Amino acid sequence: MKRLPIVVTIFLMMCCLAASPALAGQRGDQFPDGGALNYGEYGRPATLDPITSNDMISLRITELIFNGLVGIDEKQEIIPELAERWEIEEDGKKYTFYLRQDVAWHPREGEDAKPFTADDVVFTYDIMMHPQTITPLKVRYEFIESVTKVDDFTVTFTLKRPILNALAKFSFKVIPRHGLQNQEFLTREDPFVQAPIGTGPYMLKNITADREVILVSNENYFKGRPHIDKYIARPFADQNIMGQALMFNAIDMIVLVNHRDIPQLQGDKRFVMQPYNALSYSFFGFNLRNPLLVDKRVRKAFTYAINRQEMLDSFFNSQGTIISGPFAPGSWAYNLDVQPVPYDPQKAEELLTEAGFTKNGDGIMEKDGRKLSLNLKVPIAKESEAVKRVVLAFKNYLQKVGVDIQPEFQEWMAWKEDIFLHHDYDLMYASWVFDDSADISSLFHSAEIGSWKNNFGAFSNPEVDGLIVEAKLTLDHEKRRTINRKLHEKIADENPYTFLWTLTNYAGYNKKLRKVAIHPYKFFSFADEWYIPKSEQR
Amino acid sequence: MRRFSQYAFEISDVSHVSFWKKAGPMDRVYIGYGLLVVLLVVISYLLGATGALPYDPQEINLELIMAPPNTGGHLLGTDFMGRDMLSRLIISIQAYFLPGLLAIGIAIVFGTCFGVFAGYWGGALETATTYVSNLLNSFPRLVLILLMVAAFKPDIYYIMIIVGVTNIPVVASLIHSKIQFLKQKNFIEAATALGLNNCTIIFKHILWHNCRSVLIIQATLGMAEAILMETSLSYLGFGVQEPTPSWGNMVQAGSNYFMQGKFWPSTAPALAILFAIMGFHLLGDGLNSMLERKGDR
Amino acid sequence: MKLSAVRPITVLVTRELGIAALLLLGVSFVVFVILYLSPGNPFATLVTRIETAADPGAAAAAPATWYGQYFTWLKNLFKGNLGNSIRTGLPVLQEVVRVGINTLYLTIGSLLVTLLIAVPIAVFSARRGMTPTSWSMTVFTYVVSALPVFWLGYIVIYISIHRFGLFPLAFGSSAGPWNWFYFLLPVLVLGISNGTISEVVRYLREEMKRVFAEEYIVTARAKGASVWKHSFKEGFLIPITEIIAAKIPFILGGAVVVEQVFNWPGMGRMAWQAAQDRDYPLIMGITLVAAIIVRMGSLMQRVVHIIVNPRASKE
Repeated sequence: MKRLPIVVTIFLMMCCLAASPALAGQRGDQFPDGGALNYGEYGRPATLDPITSNDMISLRITELIFNGLVGIDEKQEIIPELAERWEIEEDGKKYTFYLRQDVAWHPREGEDAKPFTADDVVFTYDIMMHPQTITPLKVRYEFIESVTKVDDFTVTFTLKRPILNALAKFSFKVIPRHGLQNQEFLTREDPFVQAPIGTGPYMLKNITADREVILVSNENYFKGRPHIDKYIARPFADQNIMGQALMFNAIDMIVLVNHRDIPQLQGDKRFVMQPYNALSYSFFGFNLRNPLLVDKRVRKAFTYAINRQEMLDSFFNSQGTIISGPFAPGSWAYNLDVQPVPYDPQKAEELLTEAGFTKNGDGIMEKDGRKLSLNLKVPIAKESEAVKRVVLAFKNYLQKVGVDIQPEFQEWMAWKEDIFLHHDYDLMYASWVFDDSADISSLFHSAEIGSWKNNFGAFSNPEVDGLIVEAKLTLDHEKRRTINRKLHEKIADENPYTFLWTLTNYAGYNKKLRKVAIHPYKFFSFADEWYIPKSEQR
Repeated sequence: MRRFSQYAFEISDVSHVSFWKKAGPMDRVYIGYGLLVVLLVVISYLLGATGALPYDPQEINLELIMAPPNTGGHLLGTDFMGRDMLSRLIISIQAYFLPGLLAIGIAIVFGTCFGVFAGYWGGALETATTYVSNLLNSFPRLVLILLMVAAFKPDIYYIMIIVGVTNIPVVASLIHSKIQFLKQKNFIEAATALGLNNCTIIFKHILWHNCRSVLIIQATLGMAEAILMETSLSYLGFGVQEPTPSWGNMVQAGSNYFMQGKFWPSTAPALAILFAIMGFHLLGDGLNSMLERKGDR
Repeated sequence: MKLSAVRPITVLVTRELGIAALLLLGVSFVVFVILYLSPGNPFATLVTRIETAADPGAAAAAPATWYGQYFTWLKNLFKGNLGNSIRTGLPVLQEVVRVGINTLYLTIGSLLVTLLIAVPIAVFSARRGMTPTSWSMTVFTYVVSALPVFWLGYIVIYISIHRFGLFPLAFGSSAGPWNWFYFLLPVLVLGISNGTISEVVRYLREEMKRVFAEEYIVTARAKGASVWKHSFKEGFLIPITEIIAAKIPFILGGAVVVEQVFNWPGMGRMAWQAAQDRDYPLIMGITLVAAIIVRMGSLMQRVVHIIVNPRASKE
């Protein structure tokens, strides 16, 4: 009995110790608040809302301003965000979300903060699906049948049919009903897209004349005030200059370091180079409308003809993985049993000969009087050294097996039109970036052939179609994995693309930034936990 | 009659005495330098055609990327694909030659027409051509090119058309003032009195005898401008595209390594640009000052 | 004399203004033609967008005929409505004016730099003739005029970082005590390497030589009066304003590159971005505003010309 008070006292003291820093930081950790993070961006964001924006620069900023119903943590698991809990009923066709009641929207100047309610969730869905709203998100949410508000803090989504991993899709960012001028749909003319308000850890303060976006911490953030006071996104027109800016401490972070600068930054103790595996890969795509490319042996010959390892080593300091199939290697759907085909120019020539080609006098492969001379369309970016290198090396490798490649560098929009609309190309070079899904149906299903659709190469294979549909319909994760493995194998064999590699991305930042965790796609998902030690805040 | 005709000849006769004799010592240096540059263009073509270059300018060597000068037989080093810099530098001249000629051709043909219309006939034609010239002068060239790139596609020939078109007013105003000068001296009146028809006067006496030097000068300056414009556009990503080498895209590619302290890949082509542009400018200047001296006489 | 001179000047200036307006109309037409002829006729879409934005209720459609489209666009242009940027959704006019001011600073600043370098050299070589000093200065101007501007920019940035330990880009939010330095570098680079110094020197030198040889100057000199005082207007003021007006388009063009290198938030950078995105309304707006700047330069030149020499402009 005598002991008890002591135990209690100690217990109370421990509480106090734990509580006092928490009070100061308003978060459950002892890290200091304050400081500013300047980060370099590749350009200016177009819009700052989560609906109309379609570039990575905007996406990174919206990640700081907005929240979804659910979030994704560092282990890629789903965690509560705006919804504190949820229920799944009727065999996965009905999702009910119970919303947090302590969330407020960022206040507009001179106004009080308005509470976040179920109305906003319903509103966001309606805006997103309105036919006049132009957004890349629409296709992702076609699986939803309807949304109903049960009460102020409860919403129910009814799905058209149960789908696997539906919960992850409810990470879409919620926008405020009172924020928009037009209550029916959202276009880029709405002032909201340039002056958004959200529920997230950071609030938009202003956009300067040179379109630097300045964000300040949201003191009332429902997960607790984020540590760093200020985020500034600074657009750079010239990447070489951006690298120098980091080295000269004019900025604190580069979200994606140019491969050219990696060796130099890695050797510098003042900086941290943090790799993050983006779910993306590069490829050369074939246009199967060209009769010369219909034969899969011809396409495979291209893959055999190029030395991917040499390119990866020479151009990207070996920072990446060579892939064999249509999924990003970081994803669960990737089939590691399918080996990438080796560099074998002899085999390539054999395959071409098998397909009926013979070398003519100029050393170029020919069949029925048609030369294997193809154009390769590539979009121009000002800083495209890596792209140029890959394209030139590709041309060089293929020349050795008797294929003539004519690279055509095109301005970005014109390239997009030629590939997606007019289908006027033989070969193209590009990369796919996946979000959180491993859904490749839009890339290879034959129903996706057409204007502005992703199966631009007109790849059509009944077996692949069947597997894609089967994978979509199944609700069992393991079964789906098996199907995807088969799909991977099949597509690797059909070779509609010459798959190249997934590159390891690096974020480079100043050592003063601590506890940096990076989401591979959205980047700033965990930015509210980053901090700068007191001594290094300037 | 006889007297008039002599007078007409005296004014129109620019160069029946040797150019070289009229040139001052400085002009000779200028012209000599300029001719050297022109000679190099010819040599570049010859080397390219006969395959006598040190290396194949398109030969990729991934083992030897960004080699510093004088490694492995590469006198100026290699570029970001391990291609020989010197060979590419030599062959690059050709990237400018035809597009540059196009730009010059447009500027000279249309500029001359405009100048003759405005100067020889005058009146409403003068007003109209002045208006068009001023209109073309109102566009910053690079902005106009960016508009064209957005509307059509980035192509060196489109770009050179714009360079040519925006140069029309310069040529037009030179021809115009030349004709006005001739008018002041009653030269045209005299020629008309001789019974010559307009065609002969314009082509033979005005353009051939009095304006050809002006046109040659403009041509040399036009070439210099074409090179500088392509360089700027290469930096913006809209210049001559790989694998065709141009000095502009070589400076651009090389300057990616500038900040890392590797200067040679951009310095060599930049100096080539410097050398060529100075050559064209000095050639134009030398010719110009000779012409001036003639005018004073 | 003075009084009588006032009226013609106002009349002449009004006339010049009228001409400028007419030219801008022409500029708008040229821009229209380029877009109208480009594949897919983006112009029709553009007009529809402008009309819809002006009156969201009515479902406006672009007129079918080319002149209909042009006049609808022109009508909106007069109202100051150039449409909204496709990329950001912001009104084009407001956007272009905001960044146009930065470009104007850069242009005017670099013009001053060009003149500060070119004028002394021109004056020196006009008065002294071709001495070794003036010759080497002239060659210097040729060299700097022939340097690729972005490469010079890189050199300057490299030197300022590695020699002086200054990072020359801090425009915007983090303005510090060194801001004037950051401001100065791009102005210097553009002023030196816009490819016009050698031309300015040459033109100015020839004009001054010509004026020095004029009879009235020779007379003045014989009388012992100051040559400068008498030759200032014709030998200096007029050629300088002429060359400034003629070179503004070139400098605006060079600004596109310099803004890119130095991260300068100006019109040129915006034009480049707009060309990449095919943001037609924006690039049309930029072309128009750039043309207005050029016309303003010429207008200034004409006005100076008229004021200096009212009689010369009467023809």
